Amino acid sequence: MSRMTIPIGPQHPALKEPVAFLLTVEGERIVESALRIGYVHRGIERIFQRRTYVQSVHLAERVCGICSHVHSTAYCQGVEALLGLEVPPRGLYVRTLLCELERVHSHLLWLGVLASNLGFETIFMYTWRDREIVLDIMEELSGGRVAHAVNVIGGVRVDVAPDQVRSILAQLDELGRQVEAFVGVIEHERTFQARTRGVGYLSADEIRRYCVVGPVARASGVDVDLRRDAPYAVYDRLDFRVVVAHEGDVWARTMVRILETVESLSLCRQLLVGLPDGPLVSRAPRRVPSGEVVSRCEAPRGELLYYVRSDGSDRPARVKVRTPTLTTLITLPKQLQDVNTADAFTVLSGVDLCIACADR
Amino acid sequence: MKLDALLEALQEAFPFKELNPRPVPVGETFITLPPDCLHRAVGLLVERFDLRHLSAITGEDVGDEIVLLYHFWDNQGLTLRTALRRAEARIATVTDLIPGAALYEREVSEMLGVTFEGHPGPQVLLLPDDWDDEPPSYPLRQRQEEDS
Repeated sequence: MSRMTIPIGPQHPALKEPVAFLLTVEGERIVESALRIGYVHRGIERIFQRRTYVQSVHLAERVCGICSHVHSTAYCQGVEALLGLEVPPRGLYVRTLLCELERVHSHLLWLGVLASNLGFETIFMYTWRDREIVLDIMEELSGGRVAHAVNVIGGVRVDVAPDQVRSILAQLDELGRQVEAFVGVIEHERTFQARTRGVGYLSADEIRRYCVVGPVARASGVDVDLRRDAPYAVYDRLDFRVVVAHEGDVWARTMVRILETVESLSLCRQLLVGLPDGPLVSRAPRRVPSGEVVSRCEAPRGELLYYVRSDGSDRPARVKVRTPTLTTLITLPKQLQDVNTADAFTVLSGVDLCIACADR
Repeated sequence: MKLDALLEALQEAFPFKELNPRPVPVGETFITLPPDCLHRAVGLLVERFDLRHLSAITGEDVGDEIVLLYHFWDNQGLTLRTALRRAEARIATVTDLIPGAALYEREVSEMLGVTFEGHPGPQVLLLPDDWDDEPPSYPLRQRQEEDS
């Protein structure tokens, strides 16, 4: 059968972000694939070297338009470690609360994108409708739906008032009921299963060889989660389970993410109920003593790494950002091999790409 | 990760080298190695200690040297630090041991002009295909005009 090469992107109606895929097909079967990123490369690591530590908090938040808060969390906790600065407990609780709200937002957004690519418009509409609840909570807390500017070096800049705690808890209950309904759909809906079972398979060994992180790794039975394995912020004081599945396909990734959303909602409740009294922020000096630090966080897509080196001035000498998407991209040619062309977008959505994160 | 056993094995493999293990926040240990030992050291981590998760490779131009940091993770962090001469920035690829390092190496290569010998596909990762200026310019290398 003759081969044909189909270019998809960097500008394409089905893509949310600029990335280019080159699929070589024989009939309906994909025999080869290549991808190209870099279309939204902004040179952020270079820009860090020209900003002060304080200005860099805002820069870190602008790496990603979905998980912005976890970027500033990883950066701030790195700089705080260099300063030897202790963040007050209330500050850490609010910081962690935003991290978990963001995970709920990211996973629901992703489920909507996957459903839309599968042609399952109802779930797309419902998840994006219900995502508004969590966006409203974040907007009420910080003033921003996506870029929250909550983190500062030494703590956070926003507080949660007692009446806000009550209203957020009620909103979380409402969202929790909706998420439970999605769990049922993913578990039992036969069309959904037919489109996702066995698609985009990765074995646990492949996950380890390619250094893949986050929900994609956990869906293939690799039990890693930095919130439990290397607790930062206040995760060591919270009760949650790490969701792991063993099927290694898009269905398992969906299951892991939606059950993680349930866990995250429970974490949000624990954080709101257990919110300690006290200050929100410790005062940080402008200059950071010489040294280097490796700061890791569990972003919605997995391990996020920030390396910060200070030369003793008020500007970082080097900031390195390694986002989780960079680890999953490398597995795509493997996942697309021998897949039906109609399933290409199921595979691509299944790994939850964030191109802006990968390009930086 | 059994850090003590690992350090011991590395010291045994490279008896005349100063490894300088030092703690770095948060829960990370840095070890220094000469560039010609790095590939063997990574092989040892992968094969004897099953330390296969390479989180990232950081590259930095510090003047006369290009510093490379290989950040590993297995319940705690381990970073292998090596420094290449700026004029002759070459090192063996680790993609044969850790296939997941392919994109990290491509990025360090285009940003800092480091050649990873034996890399299976050393194209640019983030920069445009026609970036190849004459003379080559690497975005993360220090520039004279900025220092003044």
